[in-house]
Amino acid sequence: MTTAVTALSTSIQRRIGRQKLRKFILGAIPFVFLLVIWQMNTAFEWLPPVFIPPMGDVFGAIITLQEDCIGLIGAITMHNSCSMTNNIFSSMGRVILAAVIGLPLGIAFGIIAGMNRTASKFLEPIGVFANSISGIAWIPLAIVWFGVGWLTTLFIMLNTIFWLMFFNSMLGVRGIAKVYEQSVLTMGGSRMDVIRHVYLPGAMPSIITGMRMSMGFGWRALIAAEMVGGDSGLGFMIFTASEEFKIEEVFLGVIIISIIFMATDRYFLAPLEKWTIERWGLVWKPT
Amino acid sequence: MNAMTAKLVVEGLCHHYPDEYTGESVHALEDINLELYEGELVSVVGPSGCGKSTLLNILAGLLPYKVGKASVDGKVIEGPGPDRGVVFQEHAILPWRTVSRNIGHGLEIRGLPKEEISRRVQEYVDLVGLSGFEDKYPHELSGGMKQRCAVARTLCADPIVMLMDEPFAAVDAQTRITLQEELNRIALATKKTILFITHSVDEAAFLADRCLVFSARPGRLKQIVTVDIPREKRIWENMNADAEFIRCRDEILRLVREEVSVAIEE
Repeated sequence: MTTAVTALSTSIQRRIGRQKLRKFILGAIPFVFLLVIWQMNTAFEWLPPVFIPPMGDVFGAIITLQEDCIGLIGAITMHNSCSMTNNIFSSMGRVILAAVIGLPLGIAFGIIAGMNRTASKFLEPIGVFANSISGIAWIPLAIVWFGVGWLTTLFIMLNTIFWLMFFNSMLGVRGIAKVYEQSVLTMGGSRMDVIRHVYLPGAMPSIITGMRMSMGFGWRALIAAEMVGGDSGLGFMIFTASEEFKIEEVFLGVIIISIIFMATDRYFLAPLEKWTIERWGLVWKPT
Repeated sequence: MNAMTAKLVVEGLCHHYPDEYTGESVHALEDINLELYEGELVSVVGPSGCGKSTLLNILAGLLPYKVGKASVDGKVIEGPGPDRGVVFQEHAILPWRTVSRNIGHGLEIRGLPKEEISRRVQEYVDLVGLSGFEDKYPHELSGGMKQRCAVARTLCADPIVMLMDEPFAAVDAQTRITLQEELNRIALATKKTILFITHSVDEAAFLADRCLVFSARPGRLKQIVTVDIPREKRIWENMNADAEFIRCRDEILRLVREEVSVAIEE
């Protein structure tokens, strides 16, 4: 009996493992394709290295940028000499700061606007107004207001994150079946119980979509803001590298940005989705 | 048990509302008077649009009323409250809570200690036959199990009156008769005071101690049919040969059909 159960579970595990592998391989194919083209370009010299640098040069740039860095300690303490890691940390720090402030605020205001007609009449028009302007269009104004530096980049990110989060949470609350709220009220629940037990979890599918969108658009806005109105960060690194015609550093910057975002999505947003809406059966799953 | 204690009293209740398109006043309920005694299961049947769901919403406190009076245990109904538990027609258990967290929700809102909640949750999990499914989420349950969970959730909060709004309308026929027999068993075991709204004549006759037949719009209480069959004997297998059941069912059916033909003539 026990052995039968073990055999069954290992076969299931093997099947799940195979599915995961399949998913990974399918997802990796376009990347492999890009890398092959890249290598072929270097081999056949379709485009000169000033436009597309050899792969080796891009990885070499890591060493060049971190040349004077005094080891791991220097990187962690953000010593002046460690320019690549400093730029990574400063971009990531801004993203985390903007997320910590912008996401909860957007969710809170979105829920208020979703549950209250007056609040929604009050907040929705200004939200539409704010959303009509691309986040980066605020950069010139932000530079005038806050100067070149971290305040400008933070403002640009917050502006992008907050409104996206606000709209998604609001629509999420509006889409919840009335009967859930009624069931909590008839059990003697207060308005606060309804918010905690119905609106917040019920709006979760929209909230997670909102997080995905706002983190994606937030990253893009941040990089743009750092290029024009920043004094550090990956956007700043790319921009200065291109001015100095260090094309391999531009490539490196772009690759690092994508890797960080993909990691955020995979190790933070996807598990959050799995733990909430997938577990609750609120998400459409391909079979 | 004092059989004459009225737990739910409705006196001269009327409800009008303006039509969404024409703005004309629609009479949903007209001068409703009823009393629910302790431990009694009363069913309400009537043609669609007779205001039976409106009545339930008013009693649940979800719909404000102006004319007449409704009270539970002498306390006038002014909004939703834990003294009246509701089992809704749709599956109203929360998808983001497990079976046991749904069943214990009312007690959690009331702020009872965790051990006390889990002890009482277990009692109702067993009562409705959901043992082994405590940690499942609603999307992992069948329609019948979801509704069992909804009934357990309402019972566990221990309301004075349980209001049920066509709770078995959305499940398949086989599950429905099982659920009806289970509710009968639960009514016998818990002696709950229950108001049961339905459009099914068979269901009304099978479950009720008294069956209130409503007229077509405006909803009035047309007649009361008393079903005098002990709960212990109420099993569907026996009912088809039970003279009292057949008499009550035919009587209710006749009353409802009169109303349906009136509604069609209009």
